[in-house]
Amino acid sequence: MQSQSQPQTQSRKLMLTIAGILLLLWTILTIVPLYWMLVGSLQDSAASASFRPAMIPEALSLAPYERFFAKTAAWRWLFNSLLVSSVLTVTNVFFASLAGYAFAKLKFPGSNAIFWILLSTMMIPAQVTLIPLYILMVNTLQLQDTYTAIILPTAVSVGNIFLMKQYMSSLPTSLIHAARIDACGEFRIFWRVILPLAKPGLAVLAIFTFVASWNEFFWPFLITSSTDMRTIQVGLASFVFAESTDFGAMMAGATIGALPMMILFFSLQRYFLQGITIGAVKG
Amino acid sequence: MARVEFRNVRKEFQDHSKESFTAVAGSDFVINDKEFVVFVGPSGCGKTTSLRMIAGLEHQTSGDILIGDRVVNNLHPKDRDIAMVFQDYALYPHMTIRDNLSFGLKNLKKPKAYIDQKVKEAAAILDMEPMLGRKPRELSGGQRQRVALGRAIVRDPQVFLFDEPLSNLDAKLRVQMRVELSELHKRLGATIVYVTHDQVEAMTLGERIVVMNRGIIQQIANPTELYAKPRNMFVAGFIGSPPMNFIDASIEGGRVVVEGGSFELPAAKLDALSPYAGRKLILGIRPEDIHGEDYAPGLETSPHRMNTHIQVVEHLGSENLLYFHIGGRLVTAKVHPETKAYPGLEKPFIFDMRKAHFFDPDSEQRIEI
Repeated sequence: MQSQSQPQTQSRKLMLTIAGILLLLWTILTIVPLYWMLVGSLQDSAASASFRPAMIPEALSLAPYERFFAKTAAWRWLFNSLLVSSVLTVTNVFFASLAGYAFAKLKFPGSNAIFWILLSTMMIPAQVTLIPLYILMVNTLQLQDTYTAIILPTAVSVGNIFLMKQYMSSLPTSLIHAARIDACGEFRIFWRVILPLAKPGLAVLAIFTFVASWNEFFWPFLITSSTDMRTIQVGLASFVFAESTDFGAMMAGATIGALPMMILFFSLQRYFLQGITIGAVKG
Repeated sequence: MARVEFRNVRKEFQDHSKESFTAVAGSDFVINDKEFVVFVGPSGCGKTTSLRMIAGLEHQTSGDILIGDRVVNNLHPKDRDIAMVFQDYALYPHMTIRDNLSFGLKNLKKPKAYIDQKVKEAAAILDMEPMLGRKPRELSGGQRQRVALGRAIVRDPQVFLFDEPLSNLDAKLRVQMRVELSELHKRLGATIVYVTHDQVEAMTLGERIVVMNRGIIQQIANPTELYAKPRNMFVAGFIGSPPMNFIDASIEGGRVVVEGGSFELPAAKLDALSPYAGRKLILGIRPEDIHGEDYAPGLETSPHRMNTHIQVVEHLGSENLLYFHIGGRLVTAKVHPETKAYPGLEKPFIFDMRKAHFFDPDSEQRIEI
């Protein structure tokens, strides 16, 4: 018995060691750019203009942050990002949960067909729809350089509808029947019975949407032209001066842009993990 | 309170391959005002579908459903004046018990004082005042069941609908709740439609029982009649535990002949069976109507005896179940525990032929004798 189990334990130890080393390397790879960004943002311009900041800085300085806020419309960009991400979070949570509920629990003709058509649109790469979308927004609707133009195309996403459908499917149908017998109208059933029960799913959806909207670069970049309408991500990209680039200030901007996401992630970690497993067990 | 009527109600479902499946095949019956009626049958017999059609959660393919004097075919559940208790209780998990009870009345926009009064009354009836502030997850299964009942009671509906409400409770609690339900029915004087697959529940609770199988109503009768005069082999086999024994038999020379023996029948019964002379028929006899020769009070002189080999003995304490074969069919006898029995013993049994039934082997209908 002992001779059999010993090699097994040893090979298990070896596997764990290899896994540990790989994970450590992965962690370093993930953390180094973030660390570099932070360190770069805390050193003065002379040291960081070369874009080779010392990994262990000798003197810390908040000068890059001061320059970042002084030379750019950073507050406006942050406000824009916050506004766009918040509105998108609300619209996605509201519409995706409505649609998800309908697909999961209501019987209506063609529900399956509509759902599959919606799902199939996820197969179309975003780049394919970009030009028609741009033409629609700019030429037809004349909405260029407005919040509406940034928000409208992703006001509700199919991926979120799918996520909500999976979540809603796991809620007991008898509750809906009970509410119907309890003289509850259809919208009130959704509002008073389903939404409160779907809170964990809604939280996951809200966080994912907020993060994705905050980090969104290409569409806001394409549809906005004035400095005042830029989001923080677009603003950072345009942070190039005519003669030289102030990398210190750029790193400061990047840090400020990433900070809300980091705070969000660390404070709501369990919802992120839940988001990964939704639909994995039930649905 | 009100009566409920089904007029040729039919319900068909379509499965994914668009093939239709008949869940209820043209039901006709009347549930009287203040009556406690139980729908019973095996899984897929159409009992729950029938209940859900009364509730308005399913719509019939054809036919009319009446509650009181109103045809309710196209009415929303909320307009039917019914309340339903679900198998899984269906309590709103995010609401307190008080909110669960008052939710329906709030939706109906009843005055607050009225709602408070109703909740208080229901809580008193079901002895659940101390739990009004709690959430459903803090309650035991039995307590949740009470809340589900309470939610129906506060509505003061014309008809109460129960969908297998006791099936999630343990055996002991189930018996207790059964008694409480009976008392509640007397107290409320309500029309109750109750669905179960458990024939014991049906027999103990129902004033009348609707036995269903494969979407077709097999018999509607009170428990005594259902037991004593089952209309067909399905009802005879479904009602009673252990189920009725069915033995292949024939009528020859004025006697009922089974494999390994024969029984003489009174002339009156033979007359009714005369059309079956020389043909096969099915003898139905309940396990409690077969006695060991050594313990058959009142039947000691009965001529209806037969020797068989006991195969299995089950000791239940208050009675013993003995199993043996007649004509290739397994037969059960429910005998007094003092009856001498062990596997392999050849023993004479007395068949109480006064209580025997006969069935047509083709139509499976009981032959009236």
